[in-house]
Amino acid sequence: MKESHHTPTDAQLISRVKKGDERAFSALVQRYEHTVWGFAYKLCRDKEKAEESFQDTFVNVFRKIDQFDGRSKFSTWLYTIVANNCLMKRRRRKLEDLLESYDEAPDVEDEEVQKQLASWDDTPAEKLLRGELKEQLDRAIQQLPDDYKVVFVLRDIEQKTAEETAKITGLSVPAVKSRLRRSRMFLRQHLHEFMKQ
Amino acid sequence: MKRRPVHIHLLSCADVYSHLCDNLDSKLDSESCRKIKAHLKECKNCSALLDSLKKTIYLYRHYPAPKISAKARKELFAIIHMEKEKRKRTRC
Repeated sequence: MKESHHTPTDAQLISRVKKGDERAFSALVQRYEHTVWGFAYKLCRDKEKAEESFQDTFVNVFRKIDQFDGRSKFSTWLYTIVANNCLMKRRRRKLEDLLESYDEAPDVEDEEVQKQLASWDDTPAEKLLRGELKEQLDRAIQQLPDDYKVVFVLRDIEQKTAEETAKITGLSVPAVKSRLRRSRMFLRQHLHEFMKQ
Repeated sequence: MKRRPVHIHLLSCADVYSHLCDNLDSKLDSESCRKIKAHLKECKNCSALLDSLKKTIYLYRHYPAPKISAKARKELFAIIHMEKEKRKRTRC
């Protein structure tokens, strides 16, 4: 493979890392550290845990780089490692039943449901920076089982397609869609008291 | 799932609900999208739900994350260095 004098491609860097080139590994870390850090932080919602996940991910990359065959994008492989790392650390909780209840459309003729559908206050950027809202957001997402959280972060925050999310998580596309739907409704429900006008 | 009778442009709120959750920002101009848009225009409950779902996603997307610390990066390379040394020893 002919290497350009400018920016090496992922494949070129990976090939050099496989041969034991430490500088190529540093370049790979530099290229993807924000991706890994951002995703790990959004999943963990805790600086210390995210740092641990960030380090574990790149240590795994270093250990397992020979297993990367280049058939998928390198970033997809990285997302998979971070997600597995997160999933391995915690077990799913008993929220599955509650989440499945979001598959049903709300009965909009029910008065209670109508109260739940009341318009939300406007949310300017400054409000997001206020501690109280950040706490609400953290509390709500932390209650999601990790496999749901991973799907929500990948689809709605990282803006990956349903197909790429399925590849990263090992779920089917319909399973990604149902987890996303339930996660969105769950989070919306948990922010409702705080956000309604 | 309880299906509502069709009132607005042949779509029930339940039909709209399932689509809302799949693709909130769909800019497609298919027949089904046009029906959903027409329903949303006239149904304040569905439109409030869509708006709050969009805001939920907006808030999480714009949640400010801290920057990675220099310490975490330094520690990573120290671990990698140890890994390399371990590999060398096992080869010997």
